[in-house]
This record gives sequence, C-alpha cells and structure tokens, in this order.
Amino acid sequence: MPGRPRPGPAFFFLLPALALILVFYVVPLILSVYIGFTPLRDWNLQRLGELSLDNYRRLYHLVLHDPDLRKVVQTTIVFTSVTLAVNVLGGLVLALAMFFMDEWLSLPYRLLWLLPRMTPVAVYSLLWYYFFLPGREGILNSWLMSLGLIDEPRAWGKDPELLPYSAWAILVLVNGFVGVSFGMIVFYSALKSIPREQVIAARIDGASTLQLARHVLIPQIRWHIVYVTVWQLLSLLTTFAHIFLLVEWGTLDRAWGSNWALYVFNTAFLTQDQGFAAAAATVLVAVGVVLGLLALRLMRFREMMVEPKGEL
Amino acid sequence: MALRLRLRRGGPAGEAAGADVETLERRRLNLVLGLAVGLGLAPVLYLYLLLVLSSFSNTMLTSLPLPGSGVELTLRNWEMLFRGQVAPAAGKIYTTRDIVLIILNTLVVALGVTAVVVAASVMAGYAFSRLRFRWRRGLMEFIILLHAFPGVALIIAVYAVYVWSLGPVRELLGRDSLAAYSVFYTVLARASLEIPMSIWLMKGFFDRIPWEVEWSALIDGASRFTVWRRILLPQVKPGIAALAIFAFLAGWEDLIYVRVFLYPQVKTLATFIEESVAGLETAYLPVVAAAGTLYLIPTIVFFIATQRLLLEAMSGGVKG
Repeated sequence: MPGRPRPGPAFFFLLPALALILVFYVVPLILSVYIGFTPLRDWNLQRLGELSLDNYRRLYHLVLHDPDLRKVVQTTIVFTSVTLAVNVLGGLVLALAMFFMDEWLSLPYRLLWLLPRMTPVAVYSLLWYYFFLPGREGILNSWLMSLGLIDEPRAWGKDPELLPYSAWAILVLVNGFVGVSFGMIVFYSALKSIPREQVIAARIDGASTLQLARHVLIPQIRWHIVYVTVWQLLSLLTTFAHIFLLVEWGTLDRAWGSNWALYVFNTAFLTQDQGFAAAAATVLVAVGVVLGLLALRLMRFREMMVEPKGEL
Repeated sequence: MALRLRLRRGGPAGEAAGADVETLERRRLNLVLGLAVGLGLAPVLYLYLLLVLSSFSNTMLTSLPLPGSGVELTLRNWEMLFRGQVAPAAGKIYTTRDIVLIILNTLVVALGVTAVVVAASVMAGYAFSRLRFRWRRGLMEFIILLHAFPGVALIIAVYAVYVWSLGPVRELLGRDSLAAYSVFYTVLARASLEIPMSIWLMKGFFDRIPWEVEWSALIDGASRFTVWRRILLPQVKPGIAALAIFAFLAGWEDLIYVRVFLYPQVKTLATFIEESVAGLETAYLPVVAAAGTLYLIPTIVFFIATQRLLLEAMSGGVKG
C-alpha cells in the first residue's frame, strides 16, 4: 500500500549532500552574479553594498579596446573551437579504431589514452613545460636541433615571430590529449551497444571497414556525438587548470596563452579585482547554465529516472 | 570462405569483441589500427618515461640514457628531495621544504575529500534510489544539471564565502586554528565539485540491488536507517570502493582549490611543484622530476589496479 510521502527519512539521508550543494553551488551562483555588480577589490567585503553596472561597462569597453583582452577573446574562440573539433573527431576516430580492434589490444589502449586525464595537473604541466623549455635543455628544441631543423633553440610559446599560432598550437595539443579520451570512452560504449547482427549483416553484404563505419556505425551514435560536443564545449569554455601553470611558468605568452576562464581566475586572484572578474565570470555561468540544460536534455534524463521500487 | 557467425551479445563489455567482424582480415586491421593508435600516443608516453628517468639522472634527459651518452644514473635527486634541499646552489638561499609534511598535507586533503564525498553521496544515493519524496525528480534533475555545470566558474563567490567565514572562525576558535580551518574548507569545497556525479553513480549502484531483501527486513520491523546500514551498505561495497578511489584521486591531484584556499604555508605536492619550477633554475629540475614521479605513484597504482572499473565509471560521464 503506497502511503503518503514522508519527509522524515528522505530529509535525513539528503541533508549532508544538500547542505554542500547549498553552500558551494546555490549560494555562490547567486553571489557570483551579485558580486559582478559591485566594486569588490582585495576581498574587502564592505564594498559589497554599492551596486552599479560599472563592471559590465568596463568589460564591454575593454573587449573593444584593450589589446590584451582582445587577445584573450581571440584565444578563447580559437582554442575552444579547434580543441572541440580535435576532441570530438579524435574521440570518434579512436573509438572506431578501438571498436575494430581485438579486445586484448583495445583494453590497454583505452587505458593508456586515459593516462593524461588521470595524471595530476601539476605533473602533466611539468611534462609539457619541460618539452617546450626555451633553452637547449628543452626536449623539442633538442630534437629539432639534432635533426638539423633549427639552428638556435626557440621559446615556442612566447617567440613574437611565432605568436599567436604557436601558443594556440600548444594549448590545443596540451588540452587535446586530455580531452580526447572523453569522446573515445562515450563513443566506444555506444558502439558496443549497437546490435552485432547489423555489423555482421553489413559485412556479409561486403561492406568495407570504412563503409561500415560511415553508413552503419556513425549514424547510430549521432546523438552521442551531439551530446559529447555540447559537454566538451561546456568543459572547454570553463577549463583552465591545464593552462594555468604553463602561463605562470612562462611557457606560454600571458595574453595569447590565456582563455577567458583563466583571465577571470587571474583577475580575481592575481590582480585582486574581484568585482570585475565576477562580471566576466557571469558570462561563463550563463553559458554553463544554458549548455548544461541542453546536455541534460540530450542525456534523455526522463528515461533514466525510474520510480523507486516499492515504498511501505 | 567460411563465415563464422558467432552471435554473442551482452555479457561483460569487451568479451563480445572477438566475435563479429572476423569475416574480413582481422589480423591486418588489428595491426594497422594498433600501430596508428599507438603512434598517436607514443610521444606523450615517451615524455612520462623521460620525466621518471630524469629523476634518477644528474641532468634532465632529452633522450633515453643509453650507455655512452654521458648521463650518470643516481639516487641523489631523491635523497635531496627527502632532505628538503630542492636546490644545491651555494650562494642562493632556498627555503628547505619538509617533503614528508608535504606528502602528509596532500594525503589529508585527498582523504578528507574521500570521506566527505563518500558519506554525502552514499546517503543521498540511497534516498534517490529507494525513497519517495516530494521533490525527488526535480531535485535529481537539478543535481545532474550541477554535474554538467562547471563548479570552478563559481570559485570567486566560494572564496568570498570563505573570507566572510574567517571572521567568525577567528572569534570562535582563535587565530591559530585558521590554518586547520583552511584545510577543512578546501576539503569541503573540492569535495562539492565531485558530489553531483557521485550521487548519480551511487544511485546507480543502489538501483541494482533487488528490492525484496530490504522489503522483508522492513516488514520485520527494521527502520529505514537500519536497513540502509545493515542490509544495503554491505551490498554496495564495490560501489563505495569505486567512489572512494575517484574521490581520493580528485583530491590528490587538485591544484586550483588547494592553491586558492589553503594557507600559503600549507603546501601540497601540487603547489610544491608549482613553486619549485617557478623559482628554480633549469639545472635543478631533476629534483622536481623526482617530486613529480613521487606525485604520480598513487595515480599509477590505482590506474593499474582498477582498469575495468575506471573505464566503466568513465563511460558514466566524467567531466572532460
């Protein structure tokens, strides 16, 4: 007999999680938008009372006229779109390759491709810092010099002759190796759930591997492709951990190597201009909410949410 | 040509793989794809190898230390790391760092995040899987939305709350407790990032348990809490283990939250590496390579020990 909903036990079990969500998501979400309207600087919370649109006016003005912020905007657009393409297409190619491989080969490969994602950010950045080191000690310089391709070592992420493309290439490379595994894993499990009969039927009809991928496999995972694209777009717009150290350590030019999210972070915690940073972050928050809702729709949430079995 | 049609479906992921596409030349396909995929990753793996080897070398390596290359293999970097001398330079004064303390700090943050994430999501996961309450669907939807939402975009406001809370904490617990409080806050803030996904994972684990077992216990008059603790928890142990590993790794690897919220004197391996690279001349990087290798060890251990679990949980949706 289904009784009336009782708030008691549910409330007790949900309390810790809800408290954390309230303190670290709900309150900050509102507060973040609010701070964007205040002149908060140096965490002087007394300034939270003065409300104005100044930060947004300044942001608008700087995007139009400040050379550094203009570079950041360009970097954000190029970095996000190119890395998105690399991650989604690369993930698709990898997943198809793993799908056609034998299990004994594909399992270790799938694991190894996850390694950059699992590596602590500081160590992963250290690898690339050392790879692109400006002097002769840098791995890339040392390789290219021993091959005779360059005469003098170069500062790959900062050399004015190579900017901005070299900085962008480094950003895409560093983040691509981390990001590509997400698409790979999602697409691979989607491919695995396609009925095997279809693959075999296509094979019997004489389809080549490429034809099989193009006409049988990819059409069936198109919703997964859309989902991964939305999800990755959201992540790439807000990611900065893997870029942060490379900029701080001087591997990358500060303006050409920063995306919007890193600019927000550095404005808040380095320049200590939190009101302005919060205004810039609000743009990210808005994008996050919209794309998050879209990703939710694509996950077909309602189908996953079954009613709880039995209730006394 | 014999067409072997073995229609094996289902079963654990992967076992079906060998069965289907063998109507074409599988061996060659394996070889070509294997080489291509391997070549794509080889440069990165090579960088990992060079980092680990450099920690045993008198200089940072740019190629493998083959005999005759003049590279000397040594344990000196590791010795220096554990003695806290990051740079041997005479004339320049570097702060010595207690690496054991730094490892302990990193562990405290990682274990703290693990405890918070496991406790909160095992409880909430049960509620979403088993209890019927008013805002259930809406709340779950909201939590999934949070999973997609980038929590790090809120870090400014999370820090503002932290600054605001410092005053009352100083009043209540005294100035000396502020460093400990910063660890506490870091743990909670970092754990919160993992909470939405963990609740979702945990709900999945509870959903798999047959309802009948609990039902009979409830009929016998056990309370909800007793059923949860005595009957359900033992059955979701694998789920709890998986969750704990991921939460531990998340806390272990974190850089941004640790850097923002921890007192500057409280270093973890991440901020230690950050500081060392920024402040050192290139010649002393092998010691940092040793610190990096040390930092990698737990990750690699879990990585090898939990392969299938890792791949499964990843396909459940992890931030990319």
